[in-house]
Amino acid sequence: MRLDQRVRRQLRRRLGVLAVIGPGLIAANAGNDAGGIATYASAGAQYAYRTLFVMALVTIALVVVQEMAARIGATTGNGLVSLIREQFSLRVATFSIVCLLAANLGLVVSEFAGIGAAMELLGVSRYIAVPVIAVGVWAVVAFGSYRYAERVFILVSLVFFAYPIAAVLGHPHWREAATNTVVPHLLANRSFLFLTVALIGTTITPYMQLYQTAAVVERGASSSDLRAIRIDTITGSVFANLISMAIIVATAAAIGGRGPLTSAADAAQALEPVAGSSAKTIFAVGLLGASLLAAAVVPLATSYALAEAIGVERSVSRRFRDAKVFMGLFTGQIVIGAAISLAPGNLIDLLINMQFLNGLITPVLLTFILILANRHKLMGPNTNTPAFRILATICTVTVAILAVVVAAQTVLGWTGQ
Amino acid sequence: MGRNLKFSLPSRPFVARLTEQRRVRDQLVSVAGLVGRPVRLTDDVEVGRLVDVVVRWSGERYPAVTGLVARVGRRRAFVPIGDVAVLTGAVVTLSSSRLDVRDFERRDSEVVLMVDIVDHQLVDIDGVQVVRASDLYLANVTGQVRLVGVEVGVRSLLRRLGPARWRAHATPDRVIDWADIHTLGGGGAMGADRPNRELRRLRAGDLADLLEALAQPQRRHLVNALDNDMAADALEEMDQDQRDAVLRNLGPDRAAAIVADMEPDEAAEALRDLDDAERERIVERLPEAATTAVRTILGYRDHSAGGIMTTIVVLARPQETVAVVIERLGEFAEHRFDIDAVLVVDDDGRLVDDISLFELVTTPRDQPVGGLVGPPWPIVIGPEAGIDEIIDAVVSNRRGSVVVAGDDGRPLGRIMADDVVDALTPANRRLHREVGEQ
Repeated sequence: MRLDQRVRRQLRRRLGVLAVIGPGLIAANAGNDAGGIATYASAGAQYAYRTLFVMALVTIALVVVQEMAARIGATTGNGLVSLIREQFSLRVATFSIVCLLAANLGLVVSEFAGIGAAMELLGVSRYIAVPVIAVGVWAVVAFGSYRYAERVFILVSLVFFAYPIAAVLGHPHWREAATNTVVPHLLANRSFLFLTVALIGTTITPYMQLYQTAAVVERGASSSDLRAIRIDTITGSVFANLISMAIIVATAAAIGGRGPLTSAADAAQALEPVAGSSAKTIFAVGLLGASLLAAAVVPLATSYALAEAIGVERSVSRRFRDAKVFMGLFTGQIVIGAAISLAPGNLIDLLINMQFLNGLITPVLLTFILILANRHKLMGPNTNTPAFRILATICTVTVAILAVVVAAQTVLGWTGQ
Repeated sequence: MGRNLKFSLPSRPFVARLTEQRRVRDQLVSVAGLVGRPVRLTDDVEVGRLVDVVVRWSGERYPAVTGLVARVGRRRAFVPIGDVAVLTGAVVTLSSSRLDVRDFERRDSEVVLMVDIVDHQLVDIDGVQVVRASDLYLANVTGQVRLVGVEVGVRSLLRRLGPARWRAHATPDRVIDWADIHTLGGGGAMGADRPNRELRRLRAGDLADLLEALAQPQRRHLVNALDNDMAADALEEMDQDQRDAVLRNLGPDRAAAIVADMEPDEAAEALRDLDDAERERIVERLPEAATTAVRTILGYRDHSAGGIMTTIVVLARPQETVAVVIERLGEFAEHRFDIDAVLVVDDDGRLVDDISLFELVTTPRDQPVGGLVGPPWPIVIGPEAGIDEIIDAVVSNRRGSVVVAGDDGRPLGRIMADDVVDALTPANRRLHREVGEQ
């Protein structure tokens, strides 16, 4: 027994309840990363409270999807990527895994963009900060004790729990916010639909489903734990989206209706009711923490899943830097992610575009999750019930139609200009 | 824990590997390459396309092919291997025009290669790793077509992704001989556990690594293929959290059988972190002596002396002869790694002295052990002693172990130096685990 395990064990005993409500909460809140904050803030800035209705629908979809991902993990004891490799033909599996890789790479890009934006708010050029931090993240994972760094990042990113307070202190139009949440509506212009897909993409990230399944599996949960797992996913998803909606409301109250968000400094204004003149610094520190956390975790989780799916090296090499495929995948993602985030242009636009990319890929992964959860041979008594199947299919198809329509509009937009 | 040494047999005991024979290597037929090939009656009469290959699953080292599955019209027909005249990478020709066109159904004793094995995880015992089959190889061995090897290279994956004509030429890249493969369950006949005897070659630490690399259902299959003794040693080497998950998933009966084979201190450590109900279900199924020992240790805080000591101690009375005590040691053979001294106790069971095995064997056999009692006196710590006190005691004792005794002076157990090393080893010594816990 090791010292570190002892600490964890004692924590777990004292915080018994918190340990049970675990993976669902963490997974869903992973959506509130750099890309999420940029997208929610932009929604609040450009359309004030109008996107809240979208978020209400997205919450339902998120609960449905995360529950399926958790149930698949508890029933099969296997991760999503492994299941896809085993359950589908090699070509179909490759297609879905390439999609997943693209979506996660998009996330890595946005995390480094978040790091760049945070550092610029703190007065450091991103052309210096991003390369240095990229090397740092790589080195901590490859040589260091990532677990300790991870705790610091998590703590720092808790700053964003200031948003609900800011939302209250910012005196928003509660009545308008409530009406816009409950009354169905969509604005039929292109940028609203584009933002809707980005909101879906950042809230229902393929990465989150991957994480959800893996976390349930890692705990050795089984079918008998399904009730607890369901409660965990539902509370986690709802809680995460309440925070997301608080970001929209706080930003709407501060700078709502002034048009698209153009800089991280504008987004930081939403925290002024709480933090006053230090809003910018607090926002930057929180953004940095959240981005650093995900910048290491997303490429790690992706590399693990891929190495396992390919079937090499997820094995005995005690030090994973000896594993060439794994290290290659990890390094590649960090390098590409950091490089793209350094491309000249507006970081907020880059962040939202990456969430849009995720939004295009989300329906593909949802389809695979739906097929797996429908497959009786795999899921036995935990297969989707007919009613649930209809609900999940509606969610998937709606997300897919939106993605296709907006993608077509965007492509037409390019060719039309 | 030197205990795992009991598995380090020579790495390749006397088994000839078919894929190492030139004759076999030169005629390997790729199963993925066969899929989609025309199945012909004569050179120009095509009866269908090959879909899969069926083998008999009866515990043979190299399973024999019993037939092929071919798509004939809209049906999947079974073609017995006896009706196949030619089977090479590019050509499948039948010798009989009789064709049973009833839809193929797998029998209980059969395994369908593309469905059941390709793309699934396997254990490579020789390389001590978890692999995923990207292709399988057949070869004609003394007149019978058999499954002889697994391909795990990335190249064959790319070959399968490409157009069919790429698949015609098998390019053995990273081939693992089937004799070194342990399967991890799956459809049909594979559901039955058929342990590969080669598993016995693995060291406990290797088994622990393999178990940690696997998902829960596959872990259960691997543990079920091990006897209790091996499983106990492997679990002792596993990361605590992952070991908890394994014990939880095995079911209380099997878990208790494995825990019963652990030393009491290891057993207590393995059980300490489970939920009360889960732990109780296992403890109550342990043999009576083990139940008492484990409950005693679990009664102490987990990083106190009582929590890490072993309760296995050898006691002797001062008037007993050395010969009697040495004979008694023989009864403790299975605990030999936890015993480096003998405790001399008085008629009330109170500790008198701690006599090392060296002292014992260098004394004439007919002497009473009481004659060995004398300074230096053993350093004794109480069961509530913390880790620092334990370290101090081990260091100042200049011995491999220290004695734990209660306030009444009766010995409770012993802490070996390796238990202290364990308690001090930071978890990040093994990085791959750390990441697995994201």
